[in-house]
Amino acid sequence: MSRRIRLILFLVSGAGFAALLVWGELGLPPFGRYQGPYGTILDSVAVLQRHATDVVASVTFDYRGFDTLQEEYILFAAVAAVTLLLRAERDESWQPPSDEAAGRIVARPSDAIWLIGLSSVAPVVLLGIYVVTHGHLTPGGGFQGGVILATAPMLIYLVGEYRTMRAVSPTSLVEVAEAVGAAGFVVVGLAAMIAGAAFLTNFLPLGRIGSLASAGTLPLIEVSVGLEVAAGFMLILSEFFEQTLELRHRRARE
Amino acid sequence: MVPAPLPVVLPLLVAAGMTAAGRRLSRRAADLTSILTAGATTALCAGLVVQSAHHYVVYWFGGWKPEHGIALGIAFVVGPFGAGLAGLAALLITLAHVYSWRYFEAVGTLYHVLMLVFLAAMAGFCLSGDVFNMFVFFELMSVSAFALTGYLIEESGPLQGALNFAITVSVAAFLMLSGIGLLYGRTGALNLAQIGDALAGKKPDGLVIAAFVLVSSGLLVKSASVPFHFWLADVESVAPNPVCAVFSGAMVTLGVYGVGRVYWAVFEGSLGSHRAEVRGVLLGLGVVTALLGGVMSLLQSQLKRLLAFSTIAHVGIAIIGLSLLSPLATAGAALYALAHGTAKASLFLSTGVLAHRFGTVWEDELHGRARRLRLAAALFALGALALSGLPPFGTFLSKGLIDDAARQASLGWVGGVTALASALTGAAVLRFAAHAFLGWGVPERGAPSPHEEEAETRGERWRTPAVMAVPACALLVLSAAITFVPGIGRGAESVAARFQDRGVYASQVLHVPAPIPAHHHLEPASPSASAVESGLGSSVLAVLLAAALVGRRRLPRGLGTRLAHVLRPHSSLLHSVHSGLVGDYVAWLVFGVAALGGLFALALR
Repeated sequence: MSRRIRLILFLVSGAGFAALLVWGELGLPPFGRYQGPYGTILDSVAVLQRHATDVVASVTFDYRGFDTLQEEYILFAAVAAVTLLLRAERDESWQPPSDEAAGRIVARPSDAIWLIGLSSVAPVVLLGIYVVTHGHLTPGGGFQGGVILATAPMLIYLVGEYRTMRAVSPTSLVEVAEAVGAAGFVVVGLAAMIAGAAFLTNFLPLGRIGSLASAGTLPLIEVSVGLEVAAGFMLILSEFFEQTLELRHRRARE
Repeated sequence: MVPAPLPVVLPLLVAAGMTAAGRRLSRRAADLTSILTAGATTALCAGLVVQSAHHYVVYWFGGWKPEHGIALGIAFVVGPFGAGLAGLAALLITLAHVYSWRYFEAVGTLYHVLMLVFLAAMAGFCLSGDVFNMFVFFELMSVSAFALTGYLIEESGPLQGALNFAITVSVAAFLMLSGIGLLYGRTGALNLAQIGDALAGKKPDGLVIAAFVLVSSGLLVKSASVPFHFWLADVESVAPNPVCAVFSGAMVTLGVYGVGRVYWAVFEGSLGSHRAEVRGVLLGLGVVTALLGGVMSLLQSQLKRLLAFSTIAHVGIAIIGLSLLSPLATAGAALYALAHGTAKASLFLSTGVLAHRFGTVWEDELHGRARRLRLAAALFALGALALSGLPPFGTFLSKGLIDDAARQASLGWVGGVTALASALTGAAVLRFAAHAFLGWGVPERGAPSPHEEEAETRGERWRTPAVMAVPACALLVLSAAITFVPGIGRGAESVAARFQDRGVYASQVLHVPAPIPAHHHLEPASPSASAVESGLGSSVLAVLLAAALVGRRRLPRGLGTRLAHVLRPHSSLLHSVHSGLVGDYVAWLVFGVAALGGLFALALR
């Protein structure tokens, strides 16, 4: 199909497609007039039922927690996919990638960047842990906090300490952390089944509303998702680093 | 009592465990763990089929049972069709792992992990009773499938195939999500039964029609029906053979199942007043898919691409069964999915034997070289005949049910279409077998340049390992065994009657009283004489067609050249449409959505 025919096909069909969408959306309730029973009911019962002040967290990790388990596994599968596709090819040691500029010299970062970068690592880790563990109280949680945690090794890399970064996040350990995080969510769900309830039913005391140790199993799930997300992102980063940096190192040695 | 979440949760947990173990797990242990896990999942699904034989198994996650017909949580709603399809997926994954035992080149435990996650996603999709939950499983299935497609990274083909797959199916996911958004905006619900209740009895307006078109288009992309089918041939010509067996055997069927599940649980109460129109549009889609798939299959000379187009033809037959909207036809479609899925998976595993022995799956390069592989030759011949619907393979029985249902709806010509599509795909495989195993005729020119299929297996190549051949044999036996299960047609029909009853579904899920107890008049569903005749007829046609193609040079001179003269321009047009360019595919996809939308808009207003 030539470019021109494809474009005509797309434009004509696209117009029909757009008309279908508009036609469908005209049937929606007007902006700001929420009609559904779901949000209204949850607004009134969620805090009392789950003792979690962040209703979004109780929806994502309890009422619709099973969806979130699959979403966690989507990331898990994506990490496995990246690892699979970026693995070293059989001939890669003797055939260096050609899209690298030969003899490119990277300047060392200035002392200011080095100092500010490294000194913000600890606060970033602390913030990440805070966001992960307070997901049931305030906006945030395992997914958001996990991403923040994964930026800590990134900061170390950015100040030019690649080998330090690899040393503080060795792949073998991060892989185990990722798997433990993914399995943790499942195990919390299965524990409820072993106790005789449905999968993912809360089995811990709910605690006082607003305190850190409240909302039953929610914080446990948040921590396990946080671990999975942080480790997953670190693994994706390190796979890309291996593809570019390590191969360059190997060639530089030759 | 089988807990409904286990077919999903078990493979997920084992996948995480195997990742944690990583390279500490020996190859043998990884293979064994995967086989046991997938095998246990198969058994669990079989248990669920039995358990849900007379009543949906409804499982509320987190114990959030619905109150006053409103669901706060997510439910699995398990019926025999869903559980059966999940079981088929689990069985194929089990046999794929047996096939891969030792010889398949695995990268650490990644292959095993991705296969198990893929299995969990397929099982979850089949068992779920919540439209957003189905979407999440659709996504999980896609991500693991993309990775498995690009598995052989040494060449550009697999990555290109995976990329086409990823782009097309991601667009499909957006379509489905947009449709779900429309439904949620109208009804405030995600539970299939609850949305169905909210839409029931109302005249279909733009929102309902658009939502139906968007959700079903998304699912039809997964099922590779025309004009959403392009990705399948690109993917299956490059993906590892055991992975193709699962794609063709189970994954594409999931799309057809999804359309049926969503139509009868959600839209039937609103669109059911326009039954004839819905049937007409879906039937048209099925017929085009079946015939185009069959013709394209015959035009291929790379075996895996040939089998992929054949899958498209058979998906078309299943869609025809679905489109007739009667319990008899749906029963036929469900059994057809099982009979075709097992036979096609067997053919892909046999293809793996050829690739293992000769390092190529091109017809011209294999010409006459495979003479000594008697077992593989038999497997290919029997598989081809199973595709063409030869009794006693289950394909003839289930196609017979679809044809009977079509005759009841005064659509007798449908039987001709299904027979032709079966004959075309059977002939394609028979022609390939005659060339490769018997060396008959002259080599088909086809391969653009000499090329080596990238080895996905290692080990001694002069012998076919038993673990590679046994699963293929078992699958063919299973495909034939379906016919001999007493009362299977009748049983499937009564399950189909329940599958199509929105009232029963909603009352069993939401515990609201059923409107009227439904009575279904069931026609006796047994292999009728006409099914045997039709099955024999399409098989004979397949053999004759294959013979004519192989012995083309021996046909009377005028006939042969005239045939070539008529076929060539059409086939080159068809080839040029299947360009391999993902931009074309997306343009066709948008065309398909617009066409479906336009047809439904005209028909339902």
